[in-house]
Amino acid sequence: MEQFKKKFLEEANDLINSLEDSLLILEEKPSEKMIIEEVFRVMHSLKGGSSMFGFDKMDAFTHELETVYDLIRNDSLQVSREVLDATLAAVDHLKVLLENGEELSPAEQKNHQLLLSRIHHIISKGESEQNDAGKPNKASELPDNTDSVGITRVYEQVPTYYITVRPHPEIFRNGTNPILLVDELHTLGHCKAYLKKSALPKFDDLDPELCHLAWEVFLATDKTIDDIKDVFIFVEDVCTVIIQKIADVNMLSKSLFVSAIDTFMQSEQATDMKNLEEFIAKTLNSDSSKEDDTIAIRADEAGPIKRLTISNIRVSSDKLDDLMNLVSELVTTQASLSLFAENQNNPELMSIAENIEKISRQLRDNTFEICLIPIETIIIRFKRLVRDLSNELNKEIQFVAEGTETELDKSIIDGLSEPLMHIFRNAIDHGIESADDRLARGKPRQGKIVLKSYYSGTNVYIQIKDDGKGIDVEKIRQKAIARGFISADANLSYKELLNLVFLPGFSTAAKITEVSGRGVGLDVVVKKISDIRGDVEIESQLGVGTTITIKLPLTLSIIDGLLVKIDKTHFVLPLASVDKCFELPLEKIRNAFNNKVVLDGKQVPLVNLRNEFDIHENTPKVQQIIQVNHDEVKVGLSVDIVLGEYQAVLKPLGRMFKDLEIVSGATILGDGTIALVLDPARIINTFDRETLNRREKLYRDLGSNKQQLVTLKELIQ
Amino acid sequence: MEKTIVIVDDSESIREVVGFTLVNAGHKVLSAVDGQDALRYFNGEKIDLVVTDLHMPVMDGISLIKEIRSKDDYKFVPILFLTTESQQARKMEAKDAGATGWIVKPFVPEKLLAAISKVVR
Repeated sequence: MEQFKKKFLEEANDLINSLEDSLLILEEKPSEKMIIEEVFRVMHSLKGGSSMFGFDKMDAFTHELETVYDLIRNDSLQVSREVLDATLAAVDHLKVLLENGEELSPAEQKNHQLLLSRIHHIISKGESEQNDAGKPNKASELPDNTDSVGITRVYEQVPTYYITVRPHPEIFRNGTNPILLVDELHTLGHCKAYLKKSALPKFDDLDPELCHLAWEVFLATDKTIDDIKDVFIFVEDVCTVIIQKIADVNMLSKSLFVSAIDTFMQSEQATDMKNLEEFIAKTLNSDSSKEDDTIAIRADEAGPIKRLTISNIRVSSDKLDDLMNLVSELVTTQASLSLFAENQNNPELMSIAENIEKISRQLRDNTFEICLIPIETIIIRFKRLVRDLSNELNKEIQFVAEGTETELDKSIIDGLSEPLMHIFRNAIDHGIESADDRLARGKPRQGKIVLKSYYSGTNVYIQIKDDGKGIDVEKIRQKAIARGFISADANLSYKELLNLVFLPGFSTAAKITEVSGRGVGLDVVVKKISDIRGDVEIESQLGVGTTITIKLPLTLSIIDGLLVKIDKTHFVLPLASVDKCFELPLEKIRNAFNNKVVLDGKQVPLVNLRNEFDIHENTPKVQQIIQVNHDEVKVGLSVDIVLGEYQAVLKPLGRMFKDLEIVSGATILGDGTIALVLDPARIINTFDRETLNRREKLYRDLGSNKQQLVTLKELIQ
Repeated sequence: MEKTIVIVDDSESIREVVGFTLVNAGHKVLSAVDGQDALRYFNGEKIDLVVTDLHMPVMDGISLIKEIRSKDDYKFVPILFLTTESQQARKMEAKDAGATGWIVKPFVPEKLLAAISKVVR
């Protein structure tokens, strides 16, 4: 039972989350039947589960909540603010109940009672409205059938019942097999059943879908008539059952009676009570020897445990992380195997190595897929945040989430919720204006925050867009000057000014409120996002709104790469950003005007990686140019040799190298040497001419200190 | 004798506790998360019993029962539904749809097996 209990707890957590979600939708559309049903269903499941697994407090609690939504379902109660507030508070309490088991601190216990009385109040309101509309009550309920499996001893002094069982012809239609019911009578006591097949038609006329049989049963038992009726509980409507007590003693223990009815029943005569009474009288008078009978105990041996067919399983995230690590190890080891096989020149070994490579690739892809979870899982808490904060700040805000089915690696999602929370707080507190302000500005009364996520290439984008007051860049400029981030005469573009908000210690909010502005600025957001290899961009228009876009890699740990070599050093480029490979004579590169070469008839800026990594030996006469692409900007990278595809397990480089702009990590090759993994996006940002120009200008604006010759991004890290 | 039993419930814990009990009793268990999901099992294969919840997303228990009864191969298959004491109306509705019997939640494994022994052998 313990293991199910644990499962239930997990499940209950999910249920409560979905409940919260549904409730928030319900708040927007209070008359939406589907949602009410959904809420009711969740309450019902929670109640069922908690009673099943012994969470009595939760059982009682959810029972009341279920009643509330049952009333709503039946239109006896309206979805009101009061109901929703109480339910949401109740949901919070359910979380507490789940977390602490049934142990409550005094304060929580008080809250428990308080909530219960709040809910009772709501229920009584609903019920008074319901008047006398026949509500099902306990008394009218059908008894449930349970304890019939126990073996009953037969006593001499138990009454004997005569039972006629006449199934209606159509009894098969609901899947009932009447013989099982007759069988069950045998478990109640000493029993003898006679089949009546007089109604059976000739074989040719027989409709096998109809039941033509009936039974007459003698049963001696210490059970009550109600217990016997319970056997037929499922078939009350499709079977006529008459139960009569014919004697106060066990007639079936009297051989005379048994032989008498045996003969009588064989004769296929219609049984009537008169005949029966006659037999009983006769038997009792003679009072022949008593026989002891016991019922054979049916040995229900438990069968061997078989595998359960389950369509879904739940795995703890630790196990997934372990799996992911093992797959990484496997991929690394596989690389050594491939290399070894190649050197052995053994065709058999080669084919094995190739197979292993193929399989490990598939395994890797599958593992990735397992680790992907939809963004939806963290959206609920934002919905709640928007609701609670907007109430607190007296703002009216509508929250819309789009593309919540977009999936991301679990580790990325984990790292995402905190920065997103921060962005939301900002949007609600500083972005969206109060309703009056909005109306005064000719905006709709209700503010709107849209969270939109979508795939693009190997990235996932998450956009948080509000239609609030936007960012005043003039304020930013003044603040930046005041804080000494830029000089007073600096000439920065709109975008550059905006980007200043990402600098540490930058907060434009005039007053510090409870909600945001606790001295933690957007720089933390950028830091957290770059921890998971993401980028943050901000766009804003004064008076119209602000959009923050987060760009994230699909996964973190293993990438498909292109292995290249410069002199003796290996490098890996993410395959996703590689467009095409070209060959160019060294002369052309050396003579390239303005560092641009012509690839496929187009001028492309060239980055000579040899210069970048300070490798000047053994330059081959012909260079390989790899054209990489990021955000529609193309750059050519020059290397010596292109070695081919390679699965790279990304290893972080450590703090020492955190300022390396164009390297995103390292990977271990099959022979144990290390290859640096290059980040084309950063390369492009660093070397693309236009980007470069902009950056140079920024350097100047940032002041004369050479130490400050770093990009904005470095500043924030 | 081993029976093939389809268990339909959107709650994983209920599915598992029912599944575990039935497998221990020597049966083969096929599980489904809702009515729609359950229908994939009704493809001509032998099914001895269906145990279904009534409240489920996508396709509820009542619709599932009707759907099963409309299939020639499964016209007579026993169907038990899970219910609670407070659901009298639903119980009748399920019976009318063609259910064979019901199991009242909460239940212990013995109770479940007892209910099953009433409708399948």
